[in-house]
Amino acid sequence: MKLKKAVIAVCALMGTVAVHAAEPIKIGVVTPLSGTYAPIGQQVRWGLDLAVKEINAAGGVMGRQIELLYEDEEANPAVATQKAEKLFQVSKVDFLTGTVNSGSTLAVGQLAERNNRLIATTVSFADSITGDKCSPNVFRVNARAGMQSAALAEWLAKEKPKANVFFIGPDYEMGRSTVAAFKKAAEAKGAKTVGEVFAPLDNKDYSPFFGQIRAAKPNVIYTSVAGNDTVRLFTQMSEYGVNRNVTIVGASGTVTSQNLSAIGKAAEGFVTGVGYSPKLDTPENKKFVAAFQAAYKALPDLYGADSYGVLYFYKAAAEKAGSVDTDKVRGAMRDLEWSTPQGRKKMRAGDHQAMQEMYAVTVRNGQFDIIGKVSAEAAVGPDACTRF
Amino acid sequence: MADAAGRVIRRTEYILLAATAILFVVGLMAGDTFFFRLATESLIFGGLALAVDLLLGIVGLLSLGQALYFGFGAYVSALLLKEVAPSFWLATGAVLAASAVVGYLSSFIALRSKGVYFALITFGLAQVAAKTVYNTRELGASDGIIGIPIVVIGTPFGGLDTANAPVFFLVTLGVIALLYGLTKYLLATPMGGIWHAVRANEARLPFIGFDTLGPKRAAFTLAAMIAAVSGALYPMLRGFVSPELLYFSTSGNAVVTVVLGGVGTLIGPLFGSALLTGLRSVIGTWTEHHQILIGLIFVAVVVLAPRGIVGIAIERAKRRAGEQI
Repeated sequence: MKLKKAVIAVCALMGTVAVHAAEPIKIGVVTPLSGTYAPIGQQVRWGLDLAVKEINAAGGVMGRQIELLYEDEEANPAVATQKAEKLFQVSKVDFLTGTVNSGSTLAVGQLAERNNRLIATTVSFADSITGDKCSPNVFRVNARAGMQSAALAEWLAKEKPKANVFFIGPDYEMGRSTVAAFKKAAEAKGAKTVGEVFAPLDNKDYSPFFGQIRAAKPNVIYTSVAGNDTVRLFTQMSEYGVNRNVTIVGASGTVTSQNLSAIGKAAEGFVTGVGYSPKLDTPENKKFVAAFQAAYKALPDLYGADSYGVLYFYKAAAEKAGSVDTDKVRGAMRDLEWSTPQGRKKMRAGDHQAMQEMYAVTVRNGQFDIIGKVSAEAAVGPDACTRF
Repeated sequence: MADAAGRVIRRTEYILLAATAILFVVGLMAGDTFFFRLATESLIFGGLALAVDLLLGIVGLLSLGQALYFGFGAYVSALLLKEVAPSFWLATGAVLAASAVVGYLSSFIALRSKGVYFALITFGLAQVAAKTVYNTRELGASDGIIGIPIVVIGTPFGGLDTANAPVFFLVTLGVIALLYGLTKYLLATPMGGIWHAVRANEARLPFIGFDTLGPKRAAFTLAAMIAAVSGALYPMLRGFVSPELLYFSTSGNAVVTVVLGGVGTLIGPLFGSALLTGLRSVIGTWTEHHQILIGLIFVAVVVLAPRGIVGIAIERAKRRAGEQI
């Protein structure tokens, strides 16, 4: 730190140009710090803080330190746009990240477009963000929903070829679209649909559906229920023996570290597709997990890892562009390859979706073990963006 | 309304207008955009609070679901601007007409009950609408609708660009002032007299030959229209709508704004909205525990000045004039 101060002092003596170069690069973070999504916002914050600490200690970006400016978006797009506008207009941030729910990312992305700034999301997984609602000012460094489905479908085709799949979804728009997306991916790989049901959100009793499931004789059950619904569905399935000789797979949000302990043994053997696991056996990830645990006494999840990676993405792009100018950085971000705890990622120029290796993980002894790997090219899917 | 109260309200109107004028000039000279847009948003949510105050402060009906009409206006306006034509007059005109119908029809459901049951029914209606929008793919579902074009308002004197922050602020100020003026005018009519009487003692009105349901229905419909027209301005400001606009947090905030500003004063809610929006923006940057601080301020106001900020000024003026509080 002393050395850094000395360097800055020397730069100051060298004249105004050098002083200007030492001004920090401001990065705005609009993320939920209160409310239901606060735990996700916490991971985002930890990941970003850790990356900034490392980058600044190593000399910053082009000799400039990074400064993070946080705003609470309350997971509400109406609040997020107001806060983002403040960061763009008043604080004059060079770049913005952190939005969690897809509605906020889309609304803030549009705002970025109107303010001629760039944003990146590290959490939102709605396909539309880099699909039909893509924007030249929005990048996504995390895996989208379609990539998670593709990874799982790929694993399924390999381990259980020509599976008979039964679908159980929660009866709301997101639940139905998740089921539809996986169904398409799985059927393209040769799986057969033997039935589907949609149970209401907060459903207490799943047993009325079990007769239908037994009659359909599936060997794989796919589900996209989440939270406490998963706890009830899984425990009831195991009480009724519905899961006997059946592999249960699902969306990445179905079984998480939050509800895993409540589901207990009934979660054993569950398989899902994800973009990150702290158990990844690479030197980059081991270093990242160790530093994360040392700093925050908690394991990073995919949000923490992707948020950590986004600053290295920005650093690589700004250094390649030699500037923080929006158009130059955007040009540099396209087709950029950079390293993250998940390994090398590549930003696809056509839709601003990062390509990365995906993993199939299963629950074993209450922990997520990696059991399969899908290449970035196989998982990413076609470029559906037509706006640029 | 008593003289002292009228004087305080008039004075608050002048103070707000003068403050707006000063800040407007300062903002123009500083070349600001953000604070103009923040002020515009506070006016829009002030319109919603005005609708809540008309029901709560004048007629005595606590609506916990006024966001339903606000969101309805926002969605209708957004869809028209995006899919039909980016016309300010088409959007606001259509919202005005449609919200009159929707407000009138829902008054048949909501006004079947009184007191806490009325509050629960309005709350329930708004929840049903919010969940429906949240699950309707055609309305953007949970993502909402983005890509609402920037509107140029056609007037005989030339186009007004809503992307120009000071210009759109003035437009919004004009619309909200119109809604405020209209409500205030109606309060001076015989119908307005009955509204006050309903709040004071609804049971006694039929005995002196007045029907109460008709005037209540009129007030409910008017409140729906005020909320909807305010909501119609939202997508013009922000370029998107999302289901969160219909959530209870929006309705609840409007009630908080009314209580903070002064129930039954009409100007209080606009004042409260400016205050709360400003506070939220400042405190939100300063600490992530902004909800706690806003909550504490709310509790302090309710305990120390239960009639709100404008209400306490009225109380003091009345005491000085020797009138009955």
